[in-house]
Amino acid sequence: MGIFLFIVPALLIYIVFQIIPIIGSVFFSLVDWNGIAGSKITFVGIKNYIDAFHDPDVLLSLKNMAKMVIVSVLFHTPIALLMAVAINAKCKCYRLFKALFFVPTVFPLTAVGLMWYFIFMPTGALNALLENIGLGSLVTSWLVNEATAMNTIVFVNVWAGVGYYMVILLAGLTTIPEDLYEAASIDGATPVQQFFQITIPNLKPIISMCVMMDIIGSVKVFDLVFAMTQGGPNGLTNLPTTLMYNEAFKYSHYGLGSAIGILIMVICTVATFASNFVSTKIEKDD
Amino acid sequence: MSKSGKENKKKSGMKKKLTLGRVMMYVLLIIAAFIFAAPMLFTVLSSLKTKVEIFQEPFGLPEVIQWGNYIEAWTEANMGVYFVNSIIQSLATVILLAVVSTMAAYVLARFDFKCNKFLMLFFTLGMMVPMHTVLVPISYLISALSLKNNIPALILIYTAFSLPFSIIVVTSFMKGVNRSLEEAALIDGASYFQIYKNVMLPMTVPAISTISIFNFLSAWNNILFPLLFINDKKLKPVALGLLNFNGERGSDYGPLMAAIVITVAFPLILYLLFQEKVEGGLAAGAVKE
Repeated sequence: MGIFLFIVPALLIYIVFQIIPIIGSVFFSLVDWNGIAGSKITFVGIKNYIDAFHDPDVLLSLKNMAKMVIVSVLFHTPIALLMAVAINAKCKCYRLFKALFFVPTVFPLTAVGLMWYFIFMPTGALNALLENIGLGSLVTSWLVNEATAMNTIVFVNVWAGVGYYMVILLAGLTTIPEDLYEAASIDGATPVQQFFQITIPNLKPIISMCVMMDIIGSVKVFDLVFAMTQGGPNGLTNLPTTLMYNEAFKYSHYGLGSAIGILIMVICTVATFASNFVSTKIEKDD
Repeated sequence: MSKSGKENKKKSGMKKKLTLGRVMMYVLLIIAAFIFAAPMLFTVLSSLKTKVEIFQEPFGLPEVIQWGNYIEAWTEANMGVYFVNSIIQSLATVILLAVVSTMAAYVLARFDFKCNKFLMLFFTLGMMVPMHTVLVPISYLISALSLKNNIPALILIYTAFSLPFSIIVVTSFMKGVNRSLEEAALIDGASYFQIYKNVMLPMTVPAISTISIFNFLSAWNNILFPLLFINDKKLKPVALGLLNFNGERGSDYGPLMAAIVITVAFPLILYLLFQEKVEGGLAAGAVKE
């Protein structure tokens, strides 16, 4: 029975720094508090949640989040799949391409965000390049302009994540038996037909896993926005994550911040169960 | 595009036909390669240029290589200190996680306690918790227990968040390890602790290295918890240091670019040295279902 003590350190760290804070978060989302330990905490019920859903900033951040999720899902896995198939066609520079596409995923997103910030800022590299090649009319403040700010961040998120899904899909590609393709080409199937008839059906479970991870990953994006715009200008590029941070730690609205924090968890949990449900359904249909 | 043409000629000369599909694939790869290489190349080039040179011709070469940017970033902007801090904090997290998660996994994989199934589920649930959900209570803990600038507390938080993933990966690996050696050791009168230390740990090295790479990068790349915990310049990790450097001296472009390169250097070297292992380690994050 003494062996059970082996699990105690893990359990203790986990409970103290994860379980108790979650319970704490539910508590803080139901109160009004200015963030200073020892100062008065007033119970306000679900007022913070009601406020959140009437707050235009929260609604805008949810809209931005939806854009982030949808665009990421539409681009990450399909581009990653194309790249994986292209690289896997035993091209000579297999390792070079793979490393090049994957390497941004090991970088801190703060650094990735700043890298792109210097490209997209008003006096940045992109505008300089546009001027140099005579496309000065396209010059804009990419991260300030209402029409481009969020799209620019979404683009960087796609750039930063695609290599990750590519590596997962590459691993999946190697599990498809070679003779399936050989048999198909003897039967006269074109590479495109092979792609749709063999590659995609065999990768279905992995593709659905990628999509699921992507949904949750996109909901949790924080560092990129924080490094590039901090949610600005005027909250235009806020996601629930950055809004939560700003509300709680910049404006000391701890109750509202906690309510958004719980909301993020609910969104992630619902997304997990929903996509689990969908992916088991897809697998059953086969 | 001339490059893609050359590649294709080589290929077709070898054995495969130069089909339209293959040409398109290469065109696609070359375009993608350009989109991926450009920002990184721009950053590295800029880190070696003067402020004026950087945006005059973003992809031009520097007239004189400005190593001074790196010296300024490393010393004046304190990046050297941040870099060492990150190594210490990330390594400490990796070691603590390796010890704590293998101990827990040993119990979960090898002993049939009634509550094991429940514990496994309990840990799995933790993977669904976004960091943002616990920020306010954690900041409350920090102020109530005066944990500001307390590095061990920061490391414990990192550990808590990587624990579910680590335990699941190590437990499933241990379940696949052959029991015969342990049984032999048990007959020889070894204690469970000896078996854990001398039999189980050595056999679990592949799983430990997988989680360690993942945990190292998670700690190195995290800014959220350091934002809450650390305001002492002597203790900041490199990603937060970079962010603050940009906030304070946002127009020192040369040194800032050098600071970006310094921030990504360690993960980059780690990846170049252990390419397959890092890819595997990060892809193991796919268990986050």
